[in-house]
Parts: sequence; structure tokens; C-alpha cells
Amino acid sequence: MSKHDPKIMCFSCSFGWGYLSDKEDIAKKVKNWVPVVCSGKVDSTHIITAFKEGADGVLILGCPEGDCHFQDGNYQTGKKVLILKKVLESYGVEPERLKMQMSIDPEGKTIPDLVKNFAAEIEKLGPVQVRPLREKAVAG
Amino acid sequence: MADKPKVAIYWLTACGGCDEAIVDLNEAVLQVADAVDIVLWPVAMDFKYSEIKKMKKNEITLSIIHGSVRNSEQKEMAEVLREKSQIVLAFGSCSCFGGTPGLANFRTKEDIFNWVYQDSPTVVNPNKNRPQAKSKVGDKTLTLPEFFDHVYALDQVIDVDYYLPGCPPPPDLIANAVFAVVEGKLPPRGSTLAPDKPLCDSCPRNATKPLKFDITEIKRPHEVEIDSETCFLAKGVLCMGPATRSGCGETCLRVNTPCRGCFGPVEGVDDMGSKFLSALASLLKAEKNEDVENVVATVCDPAGYFYRFTQPTSILGQQKL
Repeated sequence: MSKHDPKIMCFSCSFGWGYLSDKEDIAKKVKNWVPVVCSGKVDSTHIITAFKEGADGVLILGCPEGDCHFQDGNYQTGKKVLILKKVLESYGVEPERLKMQMSIDPEGKTIPDLVKNFAAEIEKLGPVQVRPLREKAVAG
Repeated sequence: MADKPKVAIYWLTACGGCDEAIVDLNEAVLQVADAVDIVLWPVAMDFKYSEIKKMKKNEITLSIIHGSVRNSEQKEMAEVLREKSQIVLAFGSCSCFGGTPGLANFRTKEDIFNWVYQDSPTVVNPNKNRPQAKSKVGDKTLTLPEFFDHVYALDQVIDVDYYLPGCPPPPDLIANAVFAVVEGKLPPRGSTLAPDKPLCDSCPRNATKPLKFDITEIKRPHEVEIDSETCFLAKGVLCMGPATRSGCGETCLRVNTPCRGCFGPVEGVDDMGSKFLSALASLLKAEKNEDVENVVATVCDPAGYFYRFTQPTSILGQQKL
């Protein structure tokens, strides 16, 4: 048994992920799973709040590129995630803790595994810590 | 004189710009001085803290406090003023959200001390002296306030009744706030004494805002020719207008300078930086992930830019003292 069991928050788009699944079954396997109407609905404030509340990693499952039910929600969130990674770094949160995957799985069978694999990656980083950067102040 | 409401004006970690803003009321400052009895204003008049400490509870009608809290002396004075005042107004961005001094929270106290007292090229400190809260000189002990590990906004240290943001707040809002207190016409406690809408709403450049933004490159203001009418974001210059509260009088925009966000988040938003980040992301045009990464790479310090005035009250940065 590992010493640290990472808490993973998973948002998934209901149009691409698990709409044919038994949602209760997935919810049992994935503790913090939030199906949303579109990955574009995931705001950077939600992600930041998840980290504040103790999530060690946040995984966003969106539809394949160019395949958003609502035009381009997945594309918009993809951009948000990339910028947010830079901001998280300044707060001492490793950017690897935030991940977006664009694919499709109507039966949602892969969701628990994806979360598990992501948790294994996060486990190496240890528990999330929001802290000031430790390196020396930069000139200028 | 005895019937006039008593007003205290005090600074914590502040630059003095907020005091300057009060003086900038010009003729109105005379009206203010007529209407109230100023009992404390360290930057302008000579008062003794001991006199304030001797006052009765709630004797001061209004305390206008600007600046964030970084050391034990500031905490002590904030607490004294809270006890003696009926109303505490957090005045200016530092007091409301931590302000630019709050950016220090991205670094450790140790790093800051290393830089300021040792590593900075203009410092000569062969004995590696550092300020100490207590130091012995002969048989005397000298004391300095304790420097905290974190910069706090005022409401993270004491209860605050009203907020007036701005770096500094504009004279019209200051006069409105002071006369609202004098006349007893105050909004519900906890209100911000500024409009609720975002700056873009009142921006004179709003008319030139394109229907669709396609930013492929972030520019700094000196890299583009800025005219007095075009939306900054349309030119690729970062402007915090979409996520910032209006009420400042658009003074920066009128002199061809993009908004830096000193008025803080709009009503109902806690984390200004993340809201601006979301807005900015939607304005970027990028075919591939690398395109976004390249664009973001041109912003030297995204967190510092997005949270320039609000780091201590941001979701990840906030702490209570």
C-alpha cells in the first residue's frame, strides 16, 4: 500500500464520456467524478477551487478535437488549461497536476482506469501544497 | 466640535498614494474637514497612538484604513482602530485585496530578506546584518515589529464594514463615501462603494471592440502604436478591463494605458485572476497547443499579471491571520 492516496477530481463532458453508462457504477469507482454538460463549462475558478479544497490532481475529459457538441467548448477549455498551468506554477502547484484529455468513450468504461493512471502519476508528486516559490528572488 | 463625527485615517503597508488621493479632493477636502473631526492621520498631522488607545469603544465614527498587513505593528493598530470605530472602511486596493505588496506572497520571507539585505547588487552588508524583532544595544533592548510570513488584506485581520478599491480610489468615490457616512446614507455592510459592472462596460474604447477577437500574439504597450480609441485587447495588449470593476473614471485608458486591474474583481467574483485568465483564453486564436504555449510564453509573469492587486485574496493565495 502506498503512503499517499492522491485525491483526484475528474470533470467529464457528458456528450463524449459515459452517456451510455451506468453512472452510479462509475461514481462508485471514481470518488470525485463530476459529469458536466460540456468541458467548456469547467471554469478556471472550479479547477483552482478543487486544488484549494485539497485535490492532488484535476483531470478534465473533453470531446475529441473539433467534435464539440456546442461548437468549441473543449477547445476553449484546452486553452484555459494551458494558461492555468503557468499560473499554478507560481503558486507552487506542479503543472502536471492538471491534465486535459480529449477523446470519446460513450460507455465510460475507461474513465475509472484513466483516473487510476492519472492518480499513479500524481502519487509521485505527493500531496498538493500551495506555497511560495523557494528559489532566490530574480533580479530586475 | 464635540458633535462632529470623528474620523481616523491610517496607513499600513502603503505607499502614501491613498493619502494623496484624499488630499486630491481639493476644495472638497475643506468641506470634509468642516464636517468631521480628524483624530488620526499620521501622514498629514501629528497625533499620538496612545491618545487613540485611551478612547472609548466605538468613539470614532469612521476609520479609513489603507494598506495591507505585513507586520505586527500594523496588526496591532488595525485591531485598535477596529475596537474604537463604528465603521471601518478598507480604502484602496492594498487594504481591500492586498494590492501590489501582496505579490510578495509568491516568494518566501527568506527569499525576500536574502535579496533585500544581501543579494541585491546595490547592497553592501559585509556583516550580514538582518533586522531582528529584538536586539541588545548595551544594556538596552531595541524592538522592531515582527515581519510576518505573508501579506494580508485588511479583512483577513479585522472585520471590515465597507470597501473602496482603487490604486488610489478616485476623488468622486471618496467624497461619496465620506458624505454617505456623515449623512448616514450607507448601503448594507460588506458593500463595495463602487459600481458593480466590469470596466469594459464603461470603457470609452468599447465601441471599437471587434465582434471576434483572434489574438495570436501578446504585445506590450510600447510594441504597438496605441491610439486613443481602439480597444487594447484588439491590438493584443493585455488589458484587465473584462475582469475588473469599473468606477475608476477610466483614467488609465484615457492616457493610452491598459487597465491593470486595481479596482479588483466585479461583484460576486472571488478570484479575479482566474476570471481574467478564462476571458483571455477565449480571445486567443491557436491551431495547436504549442500556439497557446507560445503566446503565453510572451507574458513574463502570468500569475503576477493576472493577480497584480489581488494575490492575497485569490482562492489559492488567501489566508487568515
